Amino acid sequence: MSNVSSNVSSNVSVIKQFLIDEFLPDVSAAELDVDHDMLSDGVIDSLGVLKLIAWVEERFGLTVSDTELDPDNFRTVTSIDAFIANNTRSVPAGS
Amino acid sequence: MAEATGFRDAFLAQVRERPDAAALVWHGRETTYRELYEMAGKAGAQLVALDLGPEEPVGIVAKKSPEAVALVLACVLAGRRFLLPSPAFADGTLTELFAQSGCRYALTPYGDAMLVAWDGPPELRVAEWTDVTFMLTTSGSTGLPKVVPLHQAAVDRFIAWAAEKFDIRPGRGVLNYAPLNFDLCLLDIWTTLAHGGRVVLVDPDHAANGYHLLELLVRHEVHVVQAVPMFYGLLLYAAMTRDPDRRFASVEHVMFTGDAIPQCTLEQLPGLFPAARMYNIYGCTETNDSFVHELGPQATRAGGPLPIGAPLPGVHAEVVGTDGTVLSGPGTGELYVSTPFQASGYLNRPSQNHRFAPHPQGWDDRRYFRTGDLVRRTVDGEIFLLGRSDFQVKVRGVAINTAQVERVLLDHPDVREAAVVTQPDDLTGVRLVASVQRAEGSRLNSLVLRSHCAKHLPAAGIPAELRIGDEPLPKTATGKVDRNAVKFPDVSPDVQGRVS
Repeated sequence: MSNVSSNVSSNVSVIKQFLIDEFLPDVSAAELDVDHDMLSDGVIDSLGVLKLIAWVEERFGLTVSDTELDPDNFRTVTSIDAFIANNTRSVPAGS
Repeated sequence: MAEATGFRDAFLAQVRERPDAAALVWHGRETTYRELYEMAGKAGAQLVALDLGPEEPVGIVAKKSPEAVALVLACVLAGRRFLLPSPAFADGTLTELFAQSGCRYALTPYGDAMLVAWDGPPELRVAEWTDVTFMLTTSGSTGLPKVVPLHQAAVDRFIAWAAEKFDIRPGRGVLNYAPLNFDLCLLDIWTTLAHGGRVVLVDPDHAANGYHLLELLVRHEVHVVQAVPMFYGLLLYAAMTRDPDRRFASVEHVMFTGDAIPQCTLEQLPGLFPAARMYNIYGCTETNDSFVHELGPQATRAGGPLPIGAPLPGVHAEVVGTDGTVLSGPGTGELYVSTPFQASGYLNRPSQNHRFAPHPQGWDDRRYFRTGDLVRRTVDGEIFLLGRSDFQVKVRGVAINTAQVERVLLDHPDVREAAVVTQPDDLTGVRLVASVQRAEGSRLNSLVLRSHCAKHLPAAGIPAELRIGDEPLPKTATGKVDRNAVKFPDVSPDVQGRVS
């Protein structure tokens, strides 16, 4: 897990690890499908979404604005990954 | 239904006609009808020595034993009504129950009457108090147990039905598994003693030991067995590990009651009891048995839940929808029953007596008991138990039936046992917590089970926490899943997969 490359798509494994540590301690990374809908089945509840956003902000140095608080951005590993990728690209490096 | 011979006369006839026949078997020792009658006479002397009013009940605090049976008999023979609560209740609960039912004295099988400490007799409010002898209690899973006074005529009618249905008569052995205070004893013990059979008593101290149960059945021939599903599971496990070729060919009637029987248990029963007819029995303390389902020849292999079957003779039942209307066809609702064996109300609990109600649409003059059980009636008219209709909770403002959540969990093929309880939650008011035992060898995890729940339940019904483990869930002394223990688990490394 520590060997994460700088390639944006590789955030998948970091995201998965956070989700597992925080919400799914009995699940392995391989068992968590990147397209699994974690909101509809309650893996992440409303409090969980807040925890997730706080982690994304802290881990990736982002600020998530109110308009981006759309739950659909946090529904699956893929959507979280895309959200992070889009926002890190839109923020110039070093700013 | 014709008036049955009273229990008292029937038992005395057995004492006269077959004094040397065994009435009870306890730890290998037989008590004959004559001996039991003499023991009851001695116990009855206690009653005479007390300054009891003519209508005054006594309390009995007794674990099962021949002496305890004799003490109950002494009361029945003397026409003295008695309250028989579980001796496992806390002292405070016992005192409160005795006070509520007007018992100044509590008797024990070893001859000491204790004065119950309470403040004067309560005002007794029971509609038809005459003719009551047995007073049993509910389990008290939802507060102070309720006292259920049974009319002797209702008890006698039940005994007459049970003796005929299960062929209980001289020369027949009946296993008694339930504790003495359970309504199941009306069949195992009291029907058998009224009809000259022999009761093989299981000592409650050894009731969870499958090897003890196995040995008891090996040593003492019985023809009738009635018990909760847990008993059969324990027995099968013991036989499988210690005596795999064991068959109990003498057993002709096998009844299970009190809970849904696991499929793995059901499948193995014909092997252990090759000659037995099998019955799923539905009843409650307030009404006694009301439905019986006899399994067909292949039914033990069919899988899926068992129906509760057909109403007993004289029993009337309705399925009542949430809007209070009686369902005429298939559908889901609360089961109302009216039986020839039922109590007419709780003793001194007016706030609970709404459960004894007239027909919801006034179609007849019978008094019905609202069982609180949620049932489904199929197009074929078969009734299946779904759970408790009163397990309603509100989660984030949505009404959720925890029994329904349990049902959905149990429908997953890798789930063996499931219990859903509520816990207070700072954020949502109430959260659902599910404990699940997964099937042997299964690698079921919370993610898979969540997806399953999401397909079959509203979002608020998906448990906030799913504890998945390989161990069986904690059980009460009667073999039901102990939701209190699920709710307040010891901090245990066995509990895996805590998910918040």
